[in-house]
Amino acid sequence: MGSGFDFKVSVMWESVPLLLTGMKLTILITVMGLLVGFILGTVFGLMKISRSLFMRKLGGFYVESIRGTPLMVQVMFIYFGLPLAIGMRVPPMLAGVAAIGVNSGAYIAEIVRGAFQSIERGQTEAGRSIGLTHLQTLYYVIWPQALKRMIPALGNQFIISLKDTSLLVVVGVGELTRTGQEIIAGNFRAFEVWLTVAIMYFAMTMSIAKVLNILERKLEI
Amino acid sequence: MIEIRNLYKRFGDLEVLKGIDLNVSSGEVTVIMGPSGSGKSTLLRCINRLEEITSGAVIVDGYDVMDPATNINFIRTEAGMVFQQFNLFPHMTALGNVTLGPTKVRKMNRAEAEALGRELLDKVGLRDKADVYPDHLSGGQKQRVAIARSLALKPKVMLFDEPTSALDPELVGEVLEVMKQLGREGMTMVVVTHEMGFAREVADRVIFMDEGVIIEENTPAEIFSNPRHERTQGFLSKVI
Repeated sequence: MGSGFDFKVSVMWESVPLLLTGMKLTILITVMGLLVGFILGTVFGLMKISRSLFMRKLGGFYVESIRGTPLMVQVMFIYFGLPLAIGMRVPPMLAGVAAIGVNSGAYIAEIVRGAFQSIERGQTEAGRSIGLTHLQTLYYVIWPQALKRMIPALGNQFIISLKDTSLLVVVGVGELTRTGQEIIAGNFRAFEVWLTVAIMYFAMTMSIAKVLNILERKLEI
Repeated sequence: MIEIRNLYKRFGDLEVLKGIDLNVSSGEVTVIMGPSGSGKSTLLRCINRLEEITSGAVIVDGYDVMDPATNINFIRTEAGMVFQQFNLFPHMTALGNVTLGPTKVRKMNRAEAEALGRELLDKVGLRDKADVYPDHLSGGQKQRVAIARSLALKPKVMLFDEPTSALDPELVGEVLEVMKQLGREGMTMVVVTHEMGFAREVADRVIFMDEGVIIEENTPAEIFSNPRHERTQGFLSKVI
């Protein structure tokens, strides 16, 4: 090989311990971000099917504005833009969780809306006809059924958000991608290190897919 | 028990009910018949305010259902409803379906509610199905659970909206049997159905509706053997 490229498996192995710490942070940000996203998504998703026009508009505005702008821009806005307005630095980790949360929230809102709307009208009527209030009907009758229908789409969002955390490289959170970058800055072994990083992302997303598969089979979705 | 005065119901431009007057006294079994689109289901759904009435009055057990001071959730526990499509909660067992109302609406404790639930499932002949999910029940069994679910609120009236129309013919009997039993026990019932046998056996009165008005009402014996109005005659001749 004229290029003088020599592939070293040992470099891959050597980078693993450090990358594992980055991977932990990636998982942490994803999980926390999705928790935030799930809460936002539920609130705004329900707003989108509210009887109040104002609520529907507000829910729609959130979803459209987040879905219509790149995540990278949202991250930069939260980390570099927002501090100027509020006169306070946003810690990178917080900015990361907030960005993933706000971003996934918009997509989850659509998932929540769709799942709620897919539950037959008769279920609401049956709930109301035994004297449950509107909220009780939502909580005891509709929500559990909707949640079950949401699982495949939520799993998909989990995988997307996990990969999206790699964009947080721009704010300097030491997640997996950033850690890879830092290792390369020291050893210049881009091929081996990026390959290892890719394998680690793939291992995580595959695991999520597998768990989801089992869950879906168990719940007979 | 139920008093309906000059009831009108419009969906947009479509007038579905055009001045209905109807009184149902306590313990009475009333059967409503009529061609599809005649407004019978809508009439039933106005009684527990699943549909908002356009004008007129609906009084259930002394409470005006459209009065803002009336707690509609209370009315709905007084007037239980059974649907054509059963509408059982699929994520709950038969017993769970029956005990939801008592625990969340009546604030009964779990043990009491389950005792009541089992008693009612026993009453509809499904004692051994308490822990089964709706997916594993036949249509007839589902509808009987739905009846037990409504009875769990100890309603004063039961409204049945074509309770056997979605059932395979061989499953109709078991549901009607439970309904007949209820009628004999003195439950006030308003039943939208085309089951003439049921009407003949337990109804005190049959109401025939067409195009949003009550065309004719009489005892079942009289209306089936001697229908006065030609639209009633036409309908009955097709149903029999």
